[in-house]
Amino acid sequence: MLDIELNAIWKQYDEKLEQARLLNLQSWALNLQSFEMHQKLKVNSTLGKLANYKIVLVVLGIAWVFLLGFLVLHSLVWSKVFFVVSVSAIAVITFVAVVVYIRQVMLLKDISNTDSVIKAQEKLSRLQTGTIRIARILFLQSPFYCTWFLTVDMIRGNPLAFWLITVPVFLLFGVLSIWLFFNINIKNAHKKWFQLLFSSREWTALLEAQAFYNEIEDFKKELDIK
Amino acid sequence: MDKTASQDNFLQLIQANKGIIIKICNSYCKNTHDREDLAQEIVYNLWKAGKDFNPDYKFSTWMYRVALNVAISFYRNGKRSLPLSALCDVHINIQEPTAPGAATDENVQLLLQFISELKELDKALVLLWLESKSYKEISEILGISETNVATRISRSKEKLKQRFLTTKNN
Repeated sequence: MLDIELNAIWKQYDEKLEQARLLNLQSWALNLQSFEMHQKLKVNSTLGKLANYKIVLVVLGIAWVFLLGFLVLHSLVWSKVFFVVSVSAIAVITFVAVVVYIRQVMLLKDISNTDSVIKAQEKLSRLQTGTIRIARILFLQSPFYCTWFLTVDMIRGNPLAFWLITVPVFLLFGVLSIWLFFNINIKNAHKKWFQLLFSSREWTALLEAQAFYNEIEDFKKELDIK
Repeated sequence: MDKTASQDNFLQLIQANKGIIIKICNSYCKNTHDREDLAQEIVYNLWKAGKDFNPDYKFSTWMYRVALNVAISFYRNGKRSLPLSALCDVHINIQEPTAPGAATDENVQLLLQFISELKELDKALVLLWLESKSYKEISEILGISETNVATRISRSKEKLKQRFLTTKNN
């Protein structure tokens, strides 16, 4: 089969479409009023909703970081050393997550259908797979939720409980969160623990986004002309 | 330019290039209902993006970019971003290509079927090539180099031809 034959079939398709009056003029009678209504509905579009959701999270995250910072600044005494260290660590990790969220919001605002197909679709896929990065970061906070309430007096009063309960729990959460940080990766998406952590719907969407991202990367590669 | 004139211009441009939308919808959606939804979504997005249109570029290049991006996202998400009820007065009717009066030729059917089997990006590439777009324009629409366009088109064409050959022989 020759190229010209494929083109001829396509031309035939064109003619059939015209003949069949599929492109009915009346059916394209779009009115401005409807479109203006749709413009107002823009905020309800998927991306619009996502952007608003992420903006709310950014605002809450910033407020949380400020509150934690305020508490730390007003607790700078030796007896509250555990509180200061734990809350500072939680604040720093939250701040990092907020920065990642801000970058995602910027990416969201930057997505335009008028971009080239590869550019626009790449941004969309990056956005979807980016949610996993935030989960990894936030898990790092978990050990510090086991220590913020400790005081020097508590340890002096009951050292056994500190060494036999608090320290092992802290280490367990520490090791677990670091392990999760390095292992929450789309490559492990097929594993059971990953599926337990993320709901199946979320997981499927992530897998699909990553697969499409890989497809885009592959598509961008220059091929050898045979 | 007042609103009505702007709307008229938009409608004229859509009218002149409506074949693009129909073909993209037919290639990315299997059933009529989805095609209609996608067509509405494309037209809405074209209108929305209209203010960003740079007249230095060809209208068809810009239109292909928007239409293909919307089609690929629609196909991947399996849902529309707007409720259909919001667009009820902008109904766009797209028949099944197999419906009476539509394209019924066997070769056309086969070609449409083989195109629908391609991956999303290859599908876009083949559509543009069949629409006789130059490699330069295809590279601008898709965002890959002209050399890459040439190589990938060559491979996709081979795939289509092979599928034709296999089907005809069977």
